[in-house]
Amino acid sequence: MRRKNEYDYWILFTVLVLLAMGTIMVFSASSYSAQFYQNNKYHYLFRQLLWSALGVISMFIFSKLDYHRIAAASPILIIISTVMLTLVIIPGIGYVSNDARRWFNLGFTTFQPSEFTKIAMILFLSFSLSKNSERLKSFTKGLLPYLLIIGLTDALLYFEPHMSAVILITLVSVIILFCAGAKIGHFLAIGIPGIIGGWLLILKMEYRVDRILAFSDPFKYAQDEGFQVVNSLYAIASGNLFGRGLGRSLQKNLYLPEPHNDFIFAILCEELGFIGAMTVILLFMLLIWRGIKAAMNASDMLGSLIAAGITSLVALEAIINIAVVTSTIPTTGMPLPFFSYGGTSTIFLLTSMGILLNVSKGSSAPELRLVTNGQKKPSLIR
Amino acid sequence: MKTRGTNYRKSSTRLKKQNKSISKTDNKKLQEKQAGIKQKRREFVMLLLFSAMFLFLIYRVGYIQFVKGEEYQKLAYLNQTQKRPINPKRGTIYDRNGKGLAISASVDTVSVNPKELRDEVKGDESKLLDIANNLASILGMDSEDVMKRFKANSRFEFIKKRIDREVGTEAKAYVAEKGIRSIYIDEDSKRYYPKGKLASHLLGFVGDDHQGLNGIEFVLESTLKGVDGKIMNEVDVLGRQISFSKEKYIDAIDGYDVYLTIDETVQYLAEKAMDQAMLDYNLKRGATCVVMDPHTGEILAMVSKPDFNPNDPDALPVGIIDEDWKGFNDSEDSQILWQTVFRNRAVMDTYEPGSVFKAITAAAAIEENVVETSTPKFCRPVSIAGHTINCWRKGGHGAEDFLHAVYNSCNPVFVDVAMDLGIEKFYNYFKLFGFKEKTGIELQGEPANEEFAKLQHNDPKEIDLAVTSFGQRFQISPLQMITAYGAIANGGTLLKPTIIKQISDSDGNIVKKFEPTVVRKVISEETASKVCQILEGVVAEGTGKNAYIPGYRIAGKTGTSQTLETDTEGRYVVSFCAIAPANNPKVCVLVVLDHPQNEMHLRSGGILAAPVAGKLTEEILEYMQVEREYTEKDKIEMTQEVYVPNVTGMTITEAETKLKAFGLKFEIQGSQTDPDAVVYNQTPKSDFSIPQNSTVILYTDQDQSEITVTMPDLQNNSVAEVIDVMNRLGLNLRIRGSGVVQKQEYPPGTQLKRGQIVEVSFVEMIGD
Repeated sequence: MRRKNEYDYWILFTVLVLLAMGTIMVFSASSYSAQFYQNNKYHYLFRQLLWSALGVISMFIFSKLDYHRIAAASPILIIISTVMLTLVIIPGIGYVSNDARRWFNLGFTTFQPSEFTKIAMILFLSFSLSKNSERLKSFTKGLLPYLLIIGLTDALLYFEPHMSAVILITLVSVIILFCAGAKIGHFLAIGIPGIIGGWLLILKMEYRVDRILAFSDPFKYAQDEGFQVVNSLYAIASGNLFGRGLGRSLQKNLYLPEPHNDFIFAILCEELGFIGAMTVILLFMLLIWRGIKAAMNASDMLGSLIAAGITSLVALEAIINIAVVTSTIPTTGMPLPFFSYGGTSTIFLLTSMGILLNVSKGSSAPELRLVTNGQKKPSLIR
Repeated sequence: MKTRGTNYRKSSTRLKKQNKSISKTDNKKLQEKQAGIKQKRREFVMLLLFSAMFLFLIYRVGYIQFVKGEEYQKLAYLNQTQKRPINPKRGTIYDRNGKGLAISASVDTVSVNPKELRDEVKGDESKLLDIANNLASILGMDSEDVMKRFKANSRFEFIKKRIDREVGTEAKAYVAEKGIRSIYIDEDSKRYYPKGKLASHLLGFVGDDHQGLNGIEFVLESTLKGVDGKIMNEVDVLGRQISFSKEKYIDAIDGYDVYLTIDETVQYLAEKAMDQAMLDYNLKRGATCVVMDPHTGEILAMVSKPDFNPNDPDALPVGIIDEDWKGFNDSEDSQILWQTVFRNRAVMDTYEPGSVFKAITAAAAIEENVVETSTPKFCRPVSIAGHTINCWRKGGHGAEDFLHAVYNSCNPVFVDVAMDLGIEKFYNYFKLFGFKEKTGIELQGEPANEEFAKLQHNDPKEIDLAVTSFGQRFQISPLQMITAYGAIANGGTLLKPTIIKQISDSDGNIVKKFEPTVVRKVISEETASKVCQILEGVVAEGTGKNAYIPGYRIAGKTGTSQTLETDTEGRYVVSFCAIAPANNPKVCVLVVLDHPQNEMHLRSGGILAAPVAGKLTEEILEYMQVEREYTEKDKIEMTQEVYVPNVTGMTITEAETKLKAFGLKFEIQGSQTDPDAVVYNQTPKSDFSIPQNSTVILYTDQDQSEITVTMPDLQNNSVAEVIDVMNRLGLNLRIRGSGVVQKQEYPPGTQLKRGQIVEVSFVEMIGD
């Protein structure tokens, strides 16, 4: 039995297993393109190892820091986030890659402020809502101010443009508001026009329309918009039950451009097969279960909301990524947590895992036993 | 923190219990508690939602891997590999003795992986152009063409197919020198027909991709082709070979060799005879010849003129005028080719057999005991259903036995015999001899059974029976005709004609051997041999006289028919079908000459086709080393040939003695005539072969020029007249045949030396 003030080791274990698998997959998937583009097949592996190491250190630091103190700083964090998002869309300051201005170029590496925004938004919403959740009963006084803050952030991200971040931040925020007790009626009242508005914004961007068309029949557009999806499907299909074996992917030979990024799961399917893919998805489910459990067992509303927010963030990223890779939804640039190559994302992901671990520490079995008179072990839901 | 935590962790199921223990808490705390419960419920909803989504994604992965797996994997495989075909060596076509008629020579084929090539030069346009220029000059191509292939958006393009080995080696050296990895020079083969036009319709030809398009090349395409091999490479998206992947090599399986039943020499003899007939008779519609072994049904030769050269099948055919000839590149031109030179008339076309068919009527009548050779008959015009049927000789031949009616080819007698047989029996034999169905030979284009039905009398009446008895007003194919003659020659069994003897693999192991296929027994051996005997008499004494060859017992029947077309000039088809030797048949030979335009007024099979068939049969029998057996009559009629001895340098007395010993006469020209005068020159010179009793001219003056005479026009002269003219001119005569002059060796007006030998061919002016 776990004692009070101990982490949920299931979370730590799952995170480390996923991170290890992810790093191996980054190497396997990237070696050919690294050799081709960077003339060094370890190019991405070395960097990913560095980010992971920094991320793990950050995770341990944040797991020790009391989340109340971090949350208390969240209003400042959200201001910093907004400032950075504003700066990054200014030409000359923001660094452009693939037609999107999403990064600060720090010389030795790039920094993506939207990753910071995700965690800042979760902390801010949790902090603010836990203080006065009663207000949510009112639309204008309760929900609207939050919607404005989320809307401002979304607007800034839209101009980068960074559609997947918009979707992600909106969804995670909605989940936090939902968990905090926002009225379903309010959601419907703003959700319907919101979806219509979002749809119109999507239609304004030609490439998004193309992506939706490509999604409807990827093989018809296999030479351009459907190229990635088609090759992703080829990779997954080539895996069968046991896969080609680690390192044996053929689709990573540039058929999937940047196979170590958003489409790394397809390479994983090809090399490790259905067994490997299922293992990874089950590990994500395990992590999500433990994360939600930590939220439900958190010692206070703040911790609960933070845990729910972070868990939802990871869950949504994983679900959207795998859904894109399997051509279940139209293409959007969503990294797979723990697997996709990336500095900022890896460090902030592990940092948020640290915070989640810290929240999980608040929930403890002995008190539960005291309450239930030792009748039962903690059940799955509890 | 402890109390807050305790309150917060209440589960809804235990709410009542908890309520008791914290009954004193204030209102706010209660609210907080309720909110906490709601929050947990909502968080639990999220867990369920996420889990459902993840499970759905597991299903999606499984769906792609297991349901769509095979389909996607195939597509992925096509994407991930680059294939270069290896063409199998096409099987050789041999004649029955293993002489190559269609062979595949080793050549090279040059191809390129354009994507990788562009990558190799790192997109440098000028480098690419340089390679294109150099390669184009080696391959004898336009460099723009090469460049176009270099720029193709693909992983495999042919640059040039089937180039000579030397050129291929040169290209290989260039590519190696420049270190280019993405231009390939692979082994290939090229179809070549060493005998040119020989048996072109039987062999056929191949197209651009070496696919058989005509003849055996077409019919046995799958047998000859073999199985494609391939070289496969794993490539990345740019088409570059992945360095650690191995080239997969799937060997091509060479095609099987085919041995035809034809004999190259017999085929050559038949081709030569038909070419000569085309020239001599100016045949407007071509000529057909089939030579068959009657005991096996094997085709020894099959000729159809006009023909083509399979090495260059779409060349402008002789006799067609087209200044803008494009061959296969023009559909109209192609159509012309397929309608003319590509047609194998022996198999694809039909004709009215004329009197050649009388052998069939005779066989049926004898088999059914309707008639015997000695049965008295009377040849005079007969009237059937309002139509009068005449003999070719005006007024007919009068009283004669059936044997002579066949010799004389009397139509009225055959009408009479057919009437005695009756419609039912006659047409039963018509069917039994195979005229109502395809022969089933392994060549394309035989008319379907329904097509034959259209060209024949479906519901025959008396008049149909009458005209059919002597081969008029219905059509059959030349192959059907000779196949029926084959049944008469082999003792009464109809065999399936065949062109393929054997199929063997590239190591010479026999894959399939073709054995004679019996269709049915048609007539008894006795009837068959009787008919053979009658046909032998036709050649020896009757209308087939012009096919007579001393020493060879040739049986046969002549035939003449008029086509129904309005073209009055030369709308004849003349033919002759021979069985030889008559007592022990080795071959059947059918010659069909279409639309002769020669100068002679009487056009009949007896005059035109019989000599051609007779001479061809003689050549074939000689080639087959069949011993000649001369009859007494032959021996008397034959003029012995002698070789002229050398008498130059001898005295006249000495020369006289020598020439007498050879059975030759002499004539002295010159001032010196006394017996001691020296012979300075002679015509003909020594070692020429001339008939006995010929005259040798001896010149007794030194440096005396030889006397010349002018060759006269001998047309329409009889043998006696020709002997007389030649004697007067002092020319030596070699007589071929009998009757009237058909052909003289030198055209009228030619200056000839006195004493020179002139060969003159005669022909019997007979109809059939």
